[in-house]
Amino acid sequence: MSALSPAPQRETDTDLLSGLLASFGACLLVLCLGLVALFIATESGTAYLTETQRRSAVARAPVQVPNFPVFDARGEAQTLKQLLQQDERVWIVDFVYTRCNTLCLALGTVFQQLQQQILAQGLQDRVGLLSISFDPENDTPTTLSAYARRMRMQDNVWQLVSLQRPADRRQLLDSFGIMVVPAPLGEFEHNAALHLVTADGQLVQILDLTAGKQALNAAAALTAP
Amino acid sequence: MTKTLAIKTLAIQITLLAALLSVPPLRALIEQSMVWHMLVQMPLLVLAGFSTAVAWPQALGDRLARYNFFGLTGFMLAQCITAYWMIPAMIDRAVVLPNADVSKLVGLWLTGVVLRQSFLKAPLAVQLFFVGYSLPMLAWLGFYMFSTDLRLCNAYSLESQLRAGWGLVLLAAALGLGWAYSVRAQLLPSSSDILRQP
Repeated sequence: MSALSPAPQRETDTDLLSGLLASFGACLLVLCLGLVALFIATESGTAYLTETQRRSAVARAPVQVPNFPVFDARGEAQTLKQLLQQDERVWIVDFVYTRCNTLCLALGTVFQQLQQQILAQGLQDRVGLLSISFDPENDTPTTLSAYARRMRMQDNVWQLVSLQRPADRRQLLDSFGIMVVPAPLGEFEHNAALHLVTADGQLVQILDLTAGKQALNAAAALTAP
Repeated sequence: MTKTLAIKTLAIQITLLAALLSVPPLRALIEQSMVWHMLVQMPLLVLAGFSTAVAWPQALGDRLARYNFFGLTGFMLAQCITAYWMIPAMIDRAVVLPNADVSKLVGLWLTGVVLRQSFLKAPLAVQLFFVGYSLPMLAWLGFYMFSTDLRLCNAYSLESQLRAGWGLVLLAAALGLGWAYSVRAQLLPSSSDILRQP
């Protein structure tokens, strides 16, 4: 403090004024740059979460889903592309692991309700459900079929597959923007949502888990005759 | 002389520790948990910058001091940088993208440097203004993090977010107490000056 005090005494009023102006100018500049940075980071103040940004990015520009070899609960192999392209259906896709006891159960319930609604509304030729396992090391045809039974999946509506090559996991999750993190009790937590994928493999819309009805309507609208 | 040397050594040690925790292999370990990321790594980086500015008071030079009357510009810069790294999407980015993480390291270290410079220059009223809106902001974020059911970061589990939320509230409280303590120290010499005046 004592080292600083002689300087202001020597300073004339003009020095003080110009210093104040310089400081206010610098302050204004920092404020503007800061606001621009915050504005860009939050997509003009509309999206503070990665999840919101992921959804708006897909809504702006659909994402091509990569093609990987997969197998289903019967152990039958095919590629993801073949699966999606088997007919004109739009798919509602989610990600699961069959050991799951928490969130995937909620997801399972959402998909069970969707399955009922699809059948009730006769939409099974236009909308399909697809669950993809992100735990290829543990999910074998045996565990998949046990999960399918537990969830009462109906083959013509709801399909369940896992990756043949565990190494593809990273790229698959990245293309959808899914982050899987370890959670207590050896479980995983991930940004679960309903992903709308067209028959030609375009991820066109991402909806909240609680928005099953909207997802169904949107999927049906995409395949409207 | 030995005292300044000790301060410099401490500043270097804190900076090295912060850097060590922020690069591989420890980075993955630290950033795996929101508590370690937001309550150990980030504060440590700010502390590293702060202690560096204590050890080298002329770090920014007199030319820059001219643009920091009453510490206003420094407080503004610190506020912008910390607000930026409180956005959940940016926390995710720092975990996923190494480039974003480097800018976080530099930014938070710089925050510490300018905070020290600004606290030296700022009258108590300006300090109160800055502390009075930045600490409640920190505490509010903490409250929000442990009271919401919404998972804010895709990189962290809800459970991790809950603990980090409590931690942020405690951090805000601790920083508030620390500042209050420094106010006492700032007031004491001047009051003794007044006593000596007659």
